[in-house]
Amino acid sequence: MIGAAGAVLAAAVGLILYALNDQIVFFQSPTDVVEKGIGPGQRIRLGGLVEEGSVVRADDAHVTFSVTDTSNTVKVTYTGILPDLFREGQGVVTEGMVGPDGVFVADNVLAKHDENYVPKEVAEALKKQGVWKGDN
Amino acid sequence: MIVELGHFALVLALVLSLVQSVLPVTGALKGDNRLMAVAPPVSVMLFLLVGLSFAALTMAYVTSDFSVVNVWENSHSTKPLIYKISGVWGNHEGSVLLWVLILVFFGALVGAFGSNIPAPLRSATLSVQAWITAGFLLFILATSNPFARIAQAPIEGNDLNPILQDIGLAIHPPLLYVGYVGFSITFSFAVAALMLGRIDAAWARWVRPWTLLAWVFLTLGISMGSYWAYYELGWGGWWFWDPVENASLMPWLAGTALLHSALVMEKREALKVWTILLAIFTFSLSLLGTFLVRSGVLTSVHAFATDPARGIFILVLLCLFIGGSLTLYAWRAPMLKQGGLFAPISREGSLVLNNLFLTAATVAVFVGTLYPLALDIVTGEKISVGAPFFNLTFGPILVPLLMAIPFGPVLAWKRGDLLAASQRLYAAFGIALAACLFCFWLWGMKMVLAPLGVGLAVWVMVGAAAEILGRIRLRDVGLARGISRLTGLPGSVWGTAIAHFGVGVTLLGIVTASAFQVEQIRTMKPQDIVSLEGFDMTFEGAVPRKGPNYTEEVAHFTVRQGGVEIARLDPSKRVYTARQMPTTEAAILTLGVSQLYLSLGESRGDGAVDVRVYYKPLITLIWIGCVIMAFGGLVSIADRRLRVGAPKPARKSKAAAPAAQPAE
Amino acid sequence: MIFWILIAALTAAAALTVLVPFARANAGRSGASLTGAAADAAVYRQQLAEVDKDLERGVIDAEAARAARAEIARRLLSAADAETAEAGSPVLANWPRKLVFVVAAMLLPAGAFGIYTAIGEPDQPDQPLIARLSAPAETQSVQMLVARVERHLADNPNDGEGWAVLAPVYLRMGNAQSAAQAYFNTIRLLGPTAKRQADYGEALTMANNGIVSADANAAFEKSVELDPKMAKARFFLALALGQEGKTDAAVAAWNALLDGADPNEPWVPAAQRQLAELKGGPVAAPGAAGGQGEALPGPSAADVTAAQSMNADDRTAMIRGMVENLAGRLADGGGTVDEWLRLIRAYVVLDDKGKAEEALASARQNLADDAGALSQINAFASEAGL
Repeated sequence: MIGAAGAVLAAAVGLILYALNDQIVFFQSPTDVVEKGIGPGQRIRLGGLVEEGSVVRADDAHVTFSVTDTSNTVKVTYTGILPDLFREGQGVVTEGMVGPDGVFVADNVLAKHDENYVPKEVAEALKKQGVWKGDN
Repeated sequence: MIVELGHFALVLALVLSLVQSVLPVTGALKGDNRLMAVAPPVSVMLFLLVGLSFAALTMAYVTSDFSVVNVWENSHSTKPLIYKISGVWGNHEGSVLLWVLILVFFGALVGAFGSNIPAPLRSATLSVQAWITAGFLLFILATSNPFARIAQAPIEGNDLNPILQDIGLAIHPPLLYVGYVGFSITFSFAVAALMLGRIDAAWARWVRPWTLLAWVFLTLGISMGSYWAYYELGWGGWWFWDPVENASLMPWLAGTALLHSALVMEKREALKVWTILLAIFTFSLSLLGTFLVRSGVLTSVHAFATDPARGIFILVLLCLFIGGSLTLYAWRAPMLKQGGLFAPISREGSLVLNNLFLTAATVAVFVGTLYPLALDIVTGEKISVGAPFFNLTFGPILVPLLMAIPFGPVLAWKRGDLLAASQRLYAAFGIALAACLFCFWLWGMKMVLAPLGVGLAVWVMVGAAAEILGRIRLRDVGLARGISRLTGLPGSVWGTAIAHFGVGVTLLGIVTASAFQVEQIRTMKPQDIVSLEGFDMTFEGAVPRKGPNYTEEVAHFTVRQGGVEIARLDPSKRVYTARQMPTTEAAILTLGVSQLYLSLGESRGDGAVDVRVYYKPLITLIWIGCVIMAFGGLVSIADRRLRVGAPKPARKSKAAAPAAQPAE
Repeated sequence: MIFWILIAALTAAAALTVLVPFARANAGRSGASLTGAAADAAVYRQQLAEVDKDLERGVIDAEAARAARAEIARRLLSAADAETAEAGSPVLANWPRKLVFVVAAMLLPAGAFGIYTAIGEPDQPDQPLIARLSAPAETQSVQMLVARVERHLADNPNDGEGWAVLAPVYLRMGNAQSAAQAYFNTIRLLGPTAKRQADYGEALTMANNGIVSADANAAFEKSVELDPKMAKARFFLALALGQEGKTDAAVAAWNALLDGADPNEPWVPAAQRQLAELKGGPVAAPGAAGGQGEALPGPSAADVTAAQSMNADDRTAMIRGMVENLAGRLADGGGTVDEWLRLIRAYVVLDDKGKAEEALASARQNLADDAGALSQINAFASEAGL
């Protein structure tokens, strides 16, 4: 009985550790992507501000835009419905991988449900760059 | 005056809960009946006072009394009445008040209907409940007072976040809170039993209906919340592994484990130590969830650090209750005599297995939810733990549990016979295998997991039915007797079978909706047609419309199947006037248990609009299964045999026996 | 008062829920309620009955039933042991009755009142919106009155009178944009008059920072068309000519306007200044008419901007202005008893006793023929201590 319990728990812990190692997505700013040279195939969350004037919409909900932290900018493509609060000049977090051509292919775009919301990772990354003027 | 009366009632409730914290438990420990007699009426009075307070706040919302800061911040005079009422708990202050209201509600239930519970246990339990009540009332009055006033009342309020202006919000949080907070009473029972040093099979029987009640509501609350997110957020997903969702899932998993281990404790007086620990953990996870959601720590660790008053307060309460109860546990638990013995292959053994897997699943969710927070605090590194993590951990942990479900109820107590149990499940296994093979034949070998998932779901469902059929032994006794046996089965047996059947139904929904969802994203001009799974949807054009507190752009779609019009769908994009906030309203067409889901994206200048269409086969089974589970729980509560204790019900059951006699 | 009675009643009820059961329950262990062990034994007896029932129904076989019975019997025995042990143990001393009384009857009320008076606001009445909106007009703030009319107009957007009432108030409050819209609606619903057209043009001009736009110009022209003597419209038309750089035409217009004017009219000095400026100074460039603002009869463009960021004092001043308006109107043409009452009450509220007395006197004079109105006025005066 105890042995079986131990085996189950060990397996569960092993599974969790393996998943933590493998399935965690790191948050990166455009500067990280450019400077660390994050290569194709690594899944990341890219966050920053949507660059003004960069949003280009094509048919069937294909969209390209640039994510910037004001020092560096990464081009992003995405197919799908953008969140209601996705706007130029506002914070955004996208999840996906850098493609071979250096363009970030997002399969998920997040903007929270509040008009004043800046994703916390974005706010902190921007603060690091010294361009954030919010109060928290 | 009404507002201030509500404020005073809340203060009075705090002071009275302090009295309740001391007197009854002293009576229970010293053996003074008079002090113990105080507990039940005071528990009801506490409920009345907090209820009065809650009613006063609701009144302020309904009448748009903007001299109350909370109303001004979260309401608007043009809001429909239902959202004025639901707005009461659509904000921090109001939701904590609702939390406390449910806390005292459960106390009052035990006070009013728990007369069969031994007086010392009941008094001590109500005192422990009053400790929690006092802690949270203090929290409300010190940091989150919903009755704060403005001298110069503004003319208009700031409105409620439009996302929350939905019928789902009116129902979801109260259900969830009844579940969440309902586990407080189990916790209080456990702490009281530890203090009194009396923990036996009878204890489990006193506690079981309360645990079941909380569990039923939590099940409904979670599924309701999931459905709300599904249709309101417009993303078509039904579970996001969001920390807020996880915060409610963890107590559910632990509570489910608790239900099962309490069963062992009640029937066999085994697993006592473990059951008490689970009772403490379950409510601790509820408290943790409250802390995560209410302290703002999820939005930003740093926002928490800059305005820590609320967070620190809950954190202190959390440490006090969890730490205190665990200390008490460490001190008292070793004194408990271990009860009945059992072999690994037995009903008890299967329930231990159930607990193991459920606990492991809870740990997985716990780690996935808190690891990013911990990492951020310790190293400042930002990570996200999303669906892949949970799919990889939660899935494999739950699969063996699901496979084992049908075995549990057919195993005998103490020492079971796996072979005999398997024999009773041959038919169920055969049907599941057939379903699995049929799916392979239908869909080919492209998808391996989906047919296996369908097979597993069928196995769980048919296994639950087999349990009932096995009990009546239809083949041996003939149809007439079989039916009379069927109606004579105890409610708890029915409850178990129904709840397990519900698990299978939910699983089936999850498997088919995830594996066979079809979606299309198109930019459509008026009269464009998008086709999906045999449905042709024609975009008829978009028109503006004005709601009570929003304006919207409604797109009209006609759905045709084989050229015949079967429905019209009107998804829309809304802008709520007061906050100038846009939302997406998806349109959903339910076809049997499957759904067509239509949501709008950007509208283009020339009347064209981005449209996302999903076909989600059998998706409603996910929530229907949850409702079935909750129904099973209710059936189990309704089982008369759980309400024993005072001699009266015993006589009643004897009286019922002759009535069943002639039928046999 | 009722509030404090209710609070006292609540507190008393809370204290009684502690005291009454305490006083009525029997002291000591043996009482009506079951002790723990006895209740447990009842559960086990119930379990035994269940085993019998299960056996009867064939849910379990005879052997399993025998085992279960044996097990439950063991629990029953130990519960019975506990029961005897409890019965044998000495009854503890009663909990000091006085202490409970002190807690329930003194600490409880003292604590509740103490905390409440520290954090509550017992004097603050409820302010449901409906009641605030339907309260007597003279007790309401200007914003409240505006909100009330707005609410009415949201439901009845075709009530021209409503727009007519609201428009000048908007202008006074510095919301020229809304004022223009309100005048537009007034004209749309009630038809154009010279005054409405002139006011509409004025609002448009304010909203445009004091520059007469083409729309405003058209409104003024329409006004003059309806009534060639309409001084306000002619004033702005002259101003517009100056802004357009048509100096000669402007000078002619100003002269014509000032010619037949009563020198006591409030706009006359402003007009004279404009004229002097045109004659003496350089030609005023379009849009650079900086000095003209102060000359306008209503709040100037600068006032408009300022009003939006007014502090409390300024707002009082603006309200005073509105009261003054009302006073002027009543002095000129008389008014209903309600209007007079509103005026007097406004002075009382603004703490201007002299003006209030003055208004009271003129009201009496104006309404001398109406006995009912007089008695109303007198009743109010004595109530207000005038």
